Amino acid sequence: MKDQSRLTSLLFTVMVLLVVAQLTGCLGSTPPPKPEGLNTRVYTANESSNTVTVLDGDTYQVLGDIETLNYGAHDLALSRDGKQLWVTNLANGRVSVIDTESRQTIASIFTGTRAHVVALTNNNKHAWVANIAENTISIIDTSIYRILGTIPVGKGPMGIAFSRDGKLAYVSTQDKMVNVIDTAAHQVIKQIPVGPNPHFLTLGPDGRIWGTNTGSNDIYVIDPGTNEIAETIEVGPAPQQIAFALKGTAGPNAYVTVTGINKVVVVSATSPTLSIREQIDVGEEPNGIWANAVGTRIYVGHTKSNNVMVIDSGTSQVLATLPVGRKPIRVVASR
Amino acid sequence: MNDTTTFSLPNALPHLPRHLLSGLCAMVFCLGFFSVSPVHAADELAANAINAIGDFTVFRTDGIQEQLEGKGTLPLYEGDRVKTGSGSQALIEFTNGIQVALNENSDFLILSRWENDKGFTRILRLATGEVWVKTMGGPKPLEIETPVATAAVKETEFDIKVLPDGQTTLTVVEGIVEFGTAFGTCPIKTSTISYGNRGKKCTKPAPVDVAPNVAWAQGIRQ
Repeated sequence: MKDQSRLTSLLFTVMVLLVVAQLTGCLGSTPPPKPEGLNTRVYTANESSNTVTVLDGDTYQVLGDIETLNYGAHDLALSRDGKQLWVTNLANGRVSVIDTESRQTIASIFTGTRAHVVALTNNNKHAWVANIAENTISIIDTSIYRILGTIPVGKGPMGIAFSRDGKLAYVSTQDKMVNVIDTAAHQVIKQIPVGPNPHFLTLGPDGRIWGTNTGSNDIYVIDPGTNEIAETIEVGPAPQQIAFALKGTAGPNAYVTVTGINKVVVVSATSPTLSIREQIDVGEEPNGIWANAVGTRIYVGHTKSNNVMVIDSGTSQVLATLPVGRKPIRVVASR
Repeated sequence: MNDTTTFSLPNALPHLPRHLLSGLCAMVFCLGFFSVSPVHAADELAANAINAIGDFTVFRTDGIQEQLEGKGTLPLYEGDRVKTGSGSQALIEFTNGIQVALNENSDFLILSRWENDKGFTRILRLATGEVWVKTMGGPKPLEIETPVATAAVKETEFDIKVLPDGQTTLTVVEGIVEFGTAFGTCPIKTSTISYGNRGKKCTKPAPVDVAPNVAWAQGIRQ
């Protein structure tokens, strides 16, 4: 009887200890997953340090640098699952493939002289890389890193974006054109005249293609139904890149880095015609820009001060300034 | 079991504890592994041109041009572009044992791809012209890129021809070539032919008498 009482007491003690251990996490069980949207990773391509800096987009901390194992990191494209980061290297014409989990470069592929920008097709099966000095787009199989073809385009390809349905690709070229490519035939089917030094291109939340004329003061929007310029608006000297985010109930808005005035210019993307909503003061020479997946934070890279500012799109206030590598040209964030 | 215990340590070092030696070996191994550059250096020998008939020119990455006339040894490096003129041919031997013959009016670039788990793959980017390729001494990974397709091989003999519009013709003499465009891949086997065109999958392999397709390479190989 006495033994039974001791056993019951011992079992009770063990159970209490187990509950306490579970509550305090001492058993080493897997922590519950974070809710979606709280695991934003931000990457910058640092052209002069040949690295990619990794930032935590939610806690605003620098997580480290990744060596690209090449020269002149310039543009970035992140796979939809966030596991592969593709980096163009302008100086030696190669593309680095980074495994974001191990934070290591796992492949290096020569595409062409002055590999400039990279974009992943909507199904992520191919990476398209623009080679400025060869006037071509290289098509890479993203699973085996093999180049499967090249597409001749206009002089000096500078930006790439795909239509929502993936049937068309848009490539801006230094000869003041945007080349429209039929992705099923790998043929340029149309050239759309735009402004001087057209650079960045991206698909907007409205399904239109947004681009900057870095050689002038304006941005333009292409209607993919007609493949004509639908609208343009002046935003200031040397506009660079565009991201889309919300300001409370307003938006999505286009956030444009304008190097010549050290500002991010906010353009309404929902009103019948493009209009400037506000201008946000940022650091010197803003260039790369990206928004988090829910459109509440903007990450702006500065090529002169070598940092990234985190901006609250709701208040337009700078929440943090994080040091990154030298000359961060491009910024991307996980979805 | 630790991986390092698989190394056989020399008995000539009896005074050091074996676990220390194992650790040192592992460190040396790791240092050697991580010091490998993922990009072939421009001064690393890739191949030698050993015979040329007619006009054969090498364009170095710094703009220097060199030529080979007749039999000889002209070193070729990563990034070099080689060209043959009209009525000309050349024979190149890569350091890993791959032989490549260039037919007239051929133009290719010597490249490589690096992968963390596979190391280097030699790549020849054929802009135009025709090459005959034979791998020797065991499997050797090699890829021939054309404007519209890529042929990947390990142990084989084949001929590949690129027209100015990029249309690519692959003839496999012996072995299997993984032939692919951006629209699909086809394994091409011995004594068959396949075509790669822009915007299309490579054609199904068709039987062919390969001898006439590679007869041109006999002269330069002698």
